[in-house]
Amino acid sequence: MKNPLDRRSAIRCLAAGAGAVFGAATESAIPAPGSTSGGPRRIIFFLQNQGFDPATCVPAEMTGSGSLAGVKLPEPIQPLEAYKERLHIITGLHGLHTSPSHSAFFGALGGYRGGDGVPPSASTIDYELSKVLPETLLPHLCIGMDSMENMTAKPTIANLSASGAGQPIFMHSNPNHLYQMLYGGISEGEIRKQHEARTGLFERMEKLAAAKGNGLPAAEQPRYRGYVGGFHEINDLRGRLGGVSETLRKFAPAVDQRYTAPKFETDWHDVLLDLGLSALKSGLTSVLTIGSGRGEIFGSWKGLGIDQQGHNLGHMPQPDNPIWIKIRQYNSRMLVRLMEGLESVPEGNGTMMDHTLIVYTSNNADAQHTSGANWPVMLLGHCGGVFKSGRLTRLDGKRPINALYTTLLRSAGVRLDHFNLSAPMAAKFDSASGPLKEVLA
Amino acid sequence: MKPLRLAFAVATLVLPGPGSGAERTYTPGEPVRGTFDGFIQPFLDQHCLECHDDSVAKAGLNLLDLGPVDETNAAVWKSVWAQVSLREMPPGKRPRPEVIDRLQFTDWVVDALQEAMKDKGGFQAHLDPKKANFLEHDLLFRDPPAGIHLKPTSSPARLWRVTPQEHITRLNELINVEPPYNPAKPGLRTHGDAVPTNHGGELKLYFGTDNILRWEGGTVAYATAVKSVPAVLSLARKHGLKNYPGFYSVNSAEATQILGKAEDILQYMASGPLSLVGMPEQITDDPRTYDKVKPPGDLRGLPTAIVYSTKFLRPATPLLNLMKDDALPSDEALRATVDHLFEALAFRPPSTEEADEYIQLVRESIAKIGKTEGVFLGLSAIFLDRDALFRPELAETGEPDAHGRVMLRDWELGLAVNHALRYLKPDPALRAAIVGGKMRTREDVEREVTRMLRDDTIRKPRILQFFRDYFDHDLAGTICKDNRALAATGITARGDDHYLAMFDAAASTDRLIEIILKNDREVLKELLTTRQVVATETDRIYFGRKRTAQETKVAAAEHAKAEAATTAEEEAALSKIRAEIASIQIRSQETPGEPATAKSLDRRAKALDAEMKRILQQRKRRQQNAALEVAPASLSGPPTEARVSRPSFGSGSMKPERILATVPEGERLGILTHPSWLVSHSDAMDNHAIRRGIWIRERLLGGGIPDVPITVDAKLPDEPHNTLRERMRVTRENYCWSCHEKMDPLGLPFEIYNHAGLYRTTELDKPVDGRGEIKDSGDPALDGPVANAIEMIQKLAASERVEQVFVRHAFRFWMGRNETLNDAPVLQAAHRAYRDNGGSLNALITSLLTSDAFLYRVVDRKGSTDLTALRFPECADP
Repeated sequence: MKNPLDRRSAIRCLAAGAGAVFGAATESAIPAPGSTSGGPRRIIFFLQNQGFDPATCVPAEMTGSGSLAGVKLPEPIQPLEAYKERLHIITGLHGLHTSPSHSAFFGALGGYRGGDGVPPSASTIDYELSKVLPETLLPHLCIGMDSMENMTAKPTIANLSASGAGQPIFMHSNPNHLYQMLYGGISEGEIRKQHEARTGLFERMEKLAAAKGNGLPAAEQPRYRGYVGGFHEINDLRGRLGGVSETLRKFAPAVDQRYTAPKFETDWHDVLLDLGLSALKSGLTSVLTIGSGRGEIFGSWKGLGIDQQGHNLGHMPQPDNPIWIKIRQYNSRMLVRLMEGLESVPEGNGTMMDHTLIVYTSNNADAQHTSGANWPVMLLGHCGGVFKSGRLTRLDGKRPINALYTTLLRSAGVRLDHFNLSAPMAAKFDSASGPLKEVLA
Repeated sequence: MKPLRLAFAVATLVLPGPGSGAERTYTPGEPVRGTFDGFIQPFLDQHCLECHDDSVAKAGLNLLDLGPVDETNAAVWKSVWAQVSLREMPPGKRPRPEVIDRLQFTDWVVDALQEAMKDKGGFQAHLDPKKANFLEHDLLFRDPPAGIHLKPTSSPARLWRVTPQEHITRLNELINVEPPYNPAKPGLRTHGDAVPTNHGGELKLYFGTDNILRWEGGTVAYATAVKSVPAVLSLARKHGLKNYPGFYSVNSAEATQILGKAEDILQYMASGPLSLVGMPEQITDDPRTYDKVKPPGDLRGLPTAIVYSTKFLRPATPLLNLMKDDALPSDEALRATVDHLFEALAFRPPSTEEADEYIQLVRESIAKIGKTEGVFLGLSAIFLDRDALFRPELAETGEPDAHGRVMLRDWELGLAVNHALRYLKPDPALRAAIVGGKMRTREDVEREVTRMLRDDTIRKPRILQFFRDYFDHDLAGTICKDNRALAATGITARGDDHYLAMFDAAASTDRLIEIILKNDREVLKELLTTRQVVATETDRIYFGRKRTAQETKVAAAEHAKAEAATTAEEEAALSKIRAEIASIQIRSQETPGEPATAKSLDRRAKALDAEMKRILQQRKRRQQNAALEVAPASLSGPPTEARVSRPSFGSGSMKPERILATVPEGERLGILTHPSWLVSHSDAMDNHAIRRGIWIRERLLGGGIPDVPITVDAKLPDEPHNTLRERMRVTRENYCWSCHEKMDPLGLPFEIYNHAGLYRTTELDKPVDGRGEIKDSGDPALDGPVANAIEMIQKLAASERVEQVFVRHAFRFWMGRNETLNDAPVLQAAHRAYRDNGGSLNALITSLLTSDAFLYRVVDRKGSTDLTALRFPECADP
């Protein structure tokens, strides 16, 4: 039988699924400057739950599409004012087919019907991109931000990303665990011990699995090799991370009190972002998915002085709401941190940010209770002019979020007309075919 | 697995040319010895080139210069293989090749494709269950033509990877105690049944829900606060048989996820709900004690929103003893835990070497990270043991018989029998038989299978899984519907109501199947023709009839009249309530300072307020649910139950209550007319007549359909004012029709139902057209036009051929492979057993599980390598 797991897909699967560190490769794990040209080399998805009301991102004076030059960004996204030449605000995509009320869950990044307890019906865009962007050690990393209780009790959860039908990808929410996974090999103390214990276990498991495969019928061996190879890949990555430890050391964030004794959940949110950013900067990953609220309808931001808890936040109108201004500004500051962090790393003739696209949106379209008729998105970055930027685009509500995902895949060199839309669904829910011409330059 | 032969390159024995008249023999599974020039080219010359050469090239296919199989022409050869296997080519009026010539030709092509593609992803199409019907039905159920010599059958030695369902069930056994079988309520989910999918159709493992006394918030808050983990093993196949041994492996992503979740499971096994809560005070039998200390504010969706009872409701395991204090574990306690966990996950006790290995692993982990974490980490490795994830049928210990076959024995045979029926580990009697050396003969298997089939307390969810794979009735909740198209069917398209109804419908159909299996008489015929249904209240609509436009108008008028009367009554009641509330308010003002009176008045006011809300809520629900376009089915009958998931959605979780009712005559007949099956075979906008037709062709008639040519742009026109039948005119074009005539006329009779599964007499305000035709079924008595699905089902249900095709599917499910000609005696015996016992599935299963195909393995270790020395050449060291 065919070995169902070739090496590259194994790497993708492992890294995407568990985030367990693992190694494809080579020196290219830390991307060589200028090794590719055109299109993004990395993409970040940032999904805030409870909806993204367009009135909180569209400048009040703009009644149609146009340049953002000369207009002031609304207060909730005001931290992006200095970066608006690379900002593209898009309204008028739709997600009517995703059932986004309360959250489309996997459907938000998959462009298909989602819901609480509904398994993914196909892979999501972040996973698909991780397969085609320049190869990194850890192609896909997902982090999720939530209340302290939830992040502690359920440090991994899968609501937003998937590698296929019924194949959820877990988000990491405990920064201590994530640090150990990414930087265990260069860490000290307890983290180091944990890392070594796991390394020892996986090495032993590989040997055990291999020993039990000896003498298998020849026809069974290729498939069984996928199982043994899984352990091998895990161990291999641990070794490879050791091989690039100097680079990792350069980018690994310092562990401080916020990891071990957080005062608020936002301490963990902040260090999770640090870890995600460091994974991008060190070349460990090419796709980072951030779920603020972890794709559900709760979430907590007590560290911002917000006492109300998740669900009630969703019932509040967002425009001119001081609570939502705080949350959106917090998001915006995180976006700025991502941009500044990536700008600090040279790449080719510019910086990492020159080859990065950030997609900011919500897993709930425009509101907690919504039909998904309007699904606002902000793109940050132009990737050397591949994407239009510095503007507001109002679409007519006839193209689905799938069209945006088609556009992203096109920018990464994949030829397709519709992402996760069958012909009958496309006929019903998409007024056109192929990428959004309003997005690609 | 057949040995590969480079038949197209070198021949050791040249066959007589096709149809040469020389005496010809054929033994299925034996290598075909013939050269391309000596056998294959003459076959093409004789049967193909008249239409497919460079001058005619029918359908654009020119085989003149095709040449031996190679990487570049493999796709054409695959098509040739399919067409010749299915006897589509040569076409009807042309002289047909002799059976032996045809079989040898197709065997040769398969061998050559396997050889040519072995480094290019391989060729396995002939092993896929979708292609199992490529083997001619009549050859399996009639005496073989002269010259065909069958050899004693067996299956290849192999490893089966466990399915997500099996995996979740094993994990569930570690942390949850399921209720014992209750003969008074046999439909309730009990210990040993499959873990059902939840309210959203997701297979999940839930922690500690039996202990939950109280939670804050609604359904979504509950679902978010409760700890659960999804299945992590993959199952890519949606339709048909999903569990052939060779379909899946375990990849590295799955391995790491299993490891991570294993630690959660072990923590719960050791600490119970304490591993789930934010505060230890959440574990109390009096939730008010938690209220005194619980965190302020809105807790909905947080782990702190839940109160767990102190009752010990999880399985007691040796891990409890191991973790009862901080002392380093003794060898004895550690071995007991390892033995227990290993058998719970691998279904057999570990060997001494295996146990030693894991004990050593735990000790090493403890040395590195301390006792608690070390125990959990070390033990989690057992979750990744080969035999926790794969079930071996390697026949390593027996002696080969005269035909080179080795019979399974002991644990391998016991676990094979167990796996045929169950997801749990062997019950005590089977375990004792295995350990006692009483699982080594055919009689041993018959004894155990008969015992298990007779005992209702031993749940056998694999049998139900067979029917799910066979009917595919469990997909309805996963068919994403366009809301407007859904609303047009007459049912409510509000929220997730339809999807919830479809997950309920799958559970209901499951239960109906079980009821029919309990009787075990004419099982297939009953499934196809019963008018009984297991129904929820909502099913009155789904099993109802879509009204005509005129009927809807009348119904709307009547509804308005009735609604006006009801509303008037309600308003009168509301007025009274409002008046009483006003009066209470006045009395309250008049009697200030009298606490007892004030309290009593307040209580009454609150009760009245609640009553007022109830009336208004009832009105709202009534108006929302007024399905004026549907004449609800009159469903009544005794209560029964359906197996639904653990509470996954708080009060919104699936409910088990059902009734066993009878549907209107002439409107429904058997499972193929249930909404669960109809919606499972529909799409977002409409019915899927093609998929329904394929189902009938493959699952009942035993026919095969070649793959869709890549040149086909399979798209129906978007014409909302035309019926599906009218839009399907495009499939009747010449190029398409040769395949579509096998499916469309079998799927269109179901047009008497709309795509939510409601019966209808009109479509787009015209009388609905349910006509169809059974063509080329292989049974001339079946062939002919049908007026609608009901007539077609009645014909099919009476057919012996249909029964035999059902047996073929059962064979595939329980053997985990496609049938070969050598399996003909097994299939005939199984059918005979079914027939001789009045259509008994139990007799059919017993026959299959005691057959050579189930008991014997052929081991081919040629080319087997030492995996411990395995290098992954593409993984060069850094």
